[in-house]
Amino acid sequence: MRKLWIVGVAAALVGGAWLYAQDPARPTFRVKVDMVVLSFTVTDSKGKWVNGLKASDFRILEDGIVQKVNTFAEGNKTPVQVLENGQTRPMVVNAEEREKGNAADAFVGTNVFVLFDTSNYMYRGFVYASDAIADFIRGLDRADSVAVYTFSRNLSRPASLQKDHLEAIRGLRKAVAGDDAALYNALLLTLRDAANVPGRKVVIVFSNGPDNASMVAPDDVRVVAEDEGIPIYVISTNDASRDPVSTSVFKRISTRTGGQVYFAKTWQKQVEAFESIRESLGNSYTVTYYPQQNSNEQFRKVAVEIVSDVGKKYRVRARPGYRPKSGF
Amino acid sequence: MRKTGAFLIFVLAGGCFAQAIADRAWQLEAAGNGADARALLEKAVRDNPRDVAGATALAEYLDRHGDPGTRAAYLKLLPLVDSDSTRKSAVARRLALLDLLAGDSSGAQRHLETYRAAGGTGLQIANAPTPSQPSSIIEIPGPIRSFARMAALSPDLKEEEVLGALARNVVTNGYQAANSSEALDQTEYLKLVVRYLSQARELAKLSGESKTIKVETCESTATADLLRVLGYRMRGGCGGELVLETVNASRAFLTIDSGFPLADLEQALRSNRPFSYNYAPTKVPVLYTADYWLTAKEKEKGEFIDAFLGDPSLCRLYLAMSKLDPNTANELRKNLTVQRIKAFSHVLDFFGGMIQIKNGKVPVPGGQKATPGWTDLAGVAPDTGSAFVERLISRDDGWLASYYDSLMRIEGPVLEYLTEPARMKRFYGALRGRVTSPGPARPVFRANTELMLLTTRMRMELNGKPHVPGGVEVWKQLFVQHPHGKYDGKLTKAASGWKDPDDVIEALFALCRKAVENEPLKIFMSVSDINRRREKALEPTTVDKLMRSFKVYGSQYPLFAEAPELGDKTILHYMDTAQSVFQIRDQGLKADTAGTLQGLVSLWQILHRQESLASADADVALAEILTPFAKIRSNRELFDAGRSGISTVLKYTKSPANANPSDRLLDLLAGTATPSDAEAHRQLVQNMIKLTEAQRLPSIKLLFDVADHLEAVGKGEKVNTALLNRLASRISEIQVPRAAMTTVEKNAMAFGYWTERHIDQQRKFNIRAQVEKAAADAEKLKDLRAHLAPMLRDAIVGLSYVHYAPPGAQILQTNPIFVRSHDFLGLQGSPQTWKHTEVFGTGWPSSAGGRLVGSLASLPYALAEAEQNFLVPSREQALIWGDLVPQMILTAKVPRWWNVPTSLVHWVGLHMREGESLLAEAALSDSRRQKVMDSLDRHAPPARARRIEYLLAAGKVPEALEQTTPAELFLLAADLAETDPGHLGADIRRLAAAQKDKLSYAAVSRAFGTPKPTLSNNNGPELLHLRTFPTLMGYSSRIMAESWESNLLYYAALADELHISPAQLNVLIPEWTQKTVERIFATHLEDWPALLRSLRAVGTDVRSQSRGGAAGAGIQ
Repeated sequence: MRKLWIVGVAAALVGGAWLYAQDPARPTFRVKVDMVVLSFTVTDSKGKWVNGLKASDFRILEDGIVQKVNTFAEGNKTPVQVLENGQTRPMVVNAEEREKGNAADAFVGTNVFVLFDTSNYMYRGFVYASDAIADFIRGLDRADSVAVYTFSRNLSRPASLQKDHLEAIRGLRKAVAGDDAALYNALLLTLRDAANVPGRKVVIVFSNGPDNASMVAPDDVRVVAEDEGIPIYVISTNDASRDPVSTSVFKRISTRTGGQVYFAKTWQKQVEAFESIRESLGNSYTVTYYPQQNSNEQFRKVAVEIVSDVGKKYRVRARPGYRPKSGF
Repeated sequence: MRKTGAFLIFVLAGGCFAQAIADRAWQLEAAGNGADARALLEKAVRDNPRDVAGATALAEYLDRHGDPGTRAAYLKLLPLVDSDSTRKSAVARRLALLDLLAGDSSGAQRHLETYRAAGGTGLQIANAPTPSQPSSIIEIPGPIRSFARMAALSPDLKEEEVLGALARNVVTNGYQAANSSEALDQTEYLKLVVRYLSQARELAKLSGESKTIKVETCESTATADLLRVLGYRMRGGCGGELVLETVNASRAFLTIDSGFPLADLEQALRSNRPFSYNYAPTKVPVLYTADYWLTAKEKEKGEFIDAFLGDPSLCRLYLAMSKLDPNTANELRKNLTVQRIKAFSHVLDFFGGMIQIKNGKVPVPGGQKATPGWTDLAGVAPDTGSAFVERLISRDDGWLASYYDSLMRIEGPVLEYLTEPARMKRFYGALRGRVTSPGPARPVFRANTELMLLTTRMRMELNGKPHVPGGVEVWKQLFVQHPHGKYDGKLTKAASGWKDPDDVIEALFALCRKAVENEPLKIFMSVSDINRRREKALEPTTVDKLMRSFKVYGSQYPLFAEAPELGDKTILHYMDTAQSVFQIRDQGLKADTAGTLQGLVSLWQILHRQESLASADADVALAEILTPFAKIRSNRELFDAGRSGISTVLKYTKSPANANPSDRLLDLLAGTATPSDAEAHRQLVQNMIKLTEAQRLPSIKLLFDVADHLEAVGKGEKVNTALLNRLASRISEIQVPRAAMTTVEKNAMAFGYWTERHIDQQRKFNIRAQVEKAAADAEKLKDLRAHLAPMLRDAIVGLSYVHYAPPGAQILQTNPIFVRSHDFLGLQGSPQTWKHTEVFGTGWPSSAGGRLVGSLASLPYALAEAEQNFLVPSREQALIWGDLVPQMILTAKVPRWWNVPTSLVHWVGLHMREGESLLAEAALSDSRRQKVMDSLDRHAPPARARRIEYLLAAGKVPEALEQTTPAELFLLAADLAETDPGHLGADIRRLAAAQKDKLSYAAVSRAFGTPKPTLSNNNGPELLHLRTFPTLMGYSSRIMAESWESNLLYYAALADELHISPAQLNVLIPEWTQKTVERIFATHLEDWPALLRSLRAVGTDVRSQSRGGAAGAGIQ
């Protein structure tokens, strides 16, 4: 089985089917069939986390096609391999795969990218935000890796992705206040970095919303997050009612990517928001799979069904789907 | 001694066999195969290590390529020539120079002794003490790192540069006009600096005698005191649960923003370990001692730094004095009171940079001949030194100083012309006007760019008169009839009597004093630049047309300047066609027609620039592209015109008759028809395909195939469903602009209405349904191609977008409708169809992302401008320069190096190394230093030239090199190549003589020059060798960026050193440029040393990676 795993990953990295060439003579573009990483949470009718579900409790569908799940993990626990018969067993990966970042522990814990707005708009709340983020990082599970990025006109990477949380706080405390805000530019670059990391990842944006310098639109950035399977959590320090445009954008980019938005004007609310995100990460399930043959080159709808939930009492929060990657 | 240079040694040393190898190696090298040449020489040395000729050839080879092994090779050679004193002295001399360049003065001393022992004379390492300005040390509380963060200073500044840089920041950003009075208010920037100093003083107090902030235990009172000052408190008891949280937001902000190590303190408290932080004050020198700047009253008030920050006029004076060359500043200080200079510090700040006092005299533009004129204008003679300077800056609110400054920056026939005494007085009078206030030095950034442009870009005819495009008569008519309103009442009246070019020039000088847009000067520059490289100047009627159309079509003129082959007829044809497009009433058709035409012209321009379209065909090709666009009435006609344009481009690029137009055009855009490096070419093509796909653009071939098929179906052919499906599939991928706008925003977004409609129409086009609807009606089926016209527009425009895509191209990759969103119409009432490309719609969460508006005339710059905020600074954020970065990206994307011979790259590399070598020679000989400085004085501003001179006189070669830009090194070698060549001069001449057709300064200018769309109205690469322009106001600060010509010369020398082929530069230069930008950490707009540091740091990285890789691959 170890061999199978390796073969599977290799196929994900290099494989692909011919998708599309507008001019038949120019065989250039194809769809890459990358492994899909899908994280989701399950809550009951009262909004409480539902834990302890097994791989066999879930059915994953893409455009209605049932997928064969490769690995399954709950919270920060080590993922298990899901066998053909639905049973599971611990994952074993050889050294070569570990080097490629395909080790089992690549899926242990979450890669958390914190994107902190240090533009003029955050001038007043800068230090409180910094405290709240520091608290959040301290409270992360040891297995989680964290990166701290800041932005105003440009992105800055004061702490790259690492397991050393203290070092990440050091980076955070080095943040310099800037001027204009290019939130969506910075979010895009953060997503691009996150996309290069194997395993489960989330981006947490801490901003009060205004953007006066981005060249990309929020929804174009959201599409990147959807396609890469990266949930975006947003903590806005603004009143939702004061900036309806940003509010609706924040809601859209978070819910459509499987994340959540919090409007937390006060420091206390910000701490609560971070606590909620942390809980969400700790109570989520993550599955990986290689998509079954599907001729749909556009948006593929993803659905997570809980087969054991006969009474349909549970609610699943997951990204609604993704577009297959294209490339050479 | 130069005649005993290494090359001659080699020739004299030659054994026949070694000579043959060396000859073969040189031939390989000259043919661009340096790596093989090196391998041959290394083998020869390995086979016969005692052979002098072989060892010499290898050492010289390495020397010519700036190889790090050069010194070692000469060291091995030295004992081999021990018995030959001539050779020995030459090798020792070269070693001494290389030692100096490496900063090894003891090695240099040793080798000079060997040189002398072998009979060499006349050289010794200069060790004159660097003239130091009187100065005193002041203290700024806290570490420099923290102060630099708060005051937005680069941490790379040297101690002596700190106050000058701070003064500049205070002058430009520290104060703003108060609402209610004439007083100035501190900006938030300065308030924070002041508050930081206050906090730093409190911390300094806590640091005590030891100047170290110490906290022994968590529960000590020292902890409480420190946290109070920092604005934090402890949450949770001492130990693992402890967290520091904000209690005083203002103080906490300063703590974080100044980079206090709060995380370390917190960790120390959590683990109950001592915390220690060095808090020694920063000591920085203050020019001429603090006493010079402050009055007795000010001194009583507090520390120097407080008085400095509190007085913008003092900062301006300090800034002005620190920009002067030290001798001049000393002379002024000796002879004028500080109050007197302070009164005119703004003039000195802007226009003092070119003023010098040498031996008590002020050199004036025009020299001896012009001295009476300057005496007349200033009221005292230039040989009165500081008295003349005083008059220069104080006479007329700065007009005379600005006149002097502009003329000091030029040389040659234009200077001769402008400094003819009567003319000088006449033009000064025009510039100054009757009422001198407000002067040109009032704002914070200098406003009168026009004067510098006029004097810098004017050119002379053979008859000694200035070139006036079209002749005096058309200019007279322009001023008399003034198509868009009077430029100036007085000039309009005077114009009717104009007879001579001087009259026109006088009028242009007069307009330079106006604060409003100076259209006549812009016309003059623009049309002069069209004429600049033409064999036959434009006819007066053509010039007249261009002048009168400038307001609407002026942005298109750089197109004509870049292609001097264009005849008057084609230029007029272009103007008429543009006008005809402008008059199309249907806005959608107008936008699509403009887009298609401009896209085709842009293709023509790129392919002409890249020499894929022969120069001889340029005129006829453009005329053929234009013809079908003369009268477009429908989308069907537009599609046919677009198709015809593509056929024309393919025809004149010698494309095979059955070539796939999409593939062929991408191949052509990526490089020449026969690229010299297939891998580099493939990479560029792939990048373009990737971006085309990201934009979901239909291929041109697909559109043509569908159009042909529709016609064939009309003739009875069966419908090809697969073909139609391919187009339908692509159409289905077009996304609607993702906007979620409020009504107010929708109204405000009227700007983009037509682009959204353009996209929507394409999305709604259901080709299969339309074909069915048309049944077999041949005409209806043919008409369907009208629906393809908007798609063809996007496909054609998209080609230019992907060609000029900046490194990273995040927007093109992320926003799939970026190309389609190009707005060729603009806001109603301010039609932008033929104006410059501009970036619109940034930072609007509700919009569909930023887009470009206007014509494609300045597409490369606009794309670079839009993309620049995606670059990630390697250190603290937001200190990237606004105007410089797009220009740097433009410089990396517009020129291409497919047709550049390797020998030209090597020739540039030789010049750069010769320039370095000449600097080293200047540290060994006074006479040599004089020659070197004569050259550098022509290219570098006086203050920096003097700094270099002092450093050379002190034997500090690496430091002098650090102050010299790559462009100056190149020019230094070029200036002395004929008359006083250095060590590599013979190689430069030898190579040039061997390849006369390939190697020339004009060829270097074409290959490694930079596009200067605002400075020379031309996107074609060119070297102008201007002194870097100072900061200019607003839009014109692009001119400052355009005057920087060092990057490509530096990269060329780097490529030569690492044997990188010119073709690979097409891929590498954009990458290197991105890295260079990301490493710039500048304090202010004119912080060129920061750019130089970044450039050199990238060079070091590239060298180390390349050589590491080569070593890993077993290559030495």
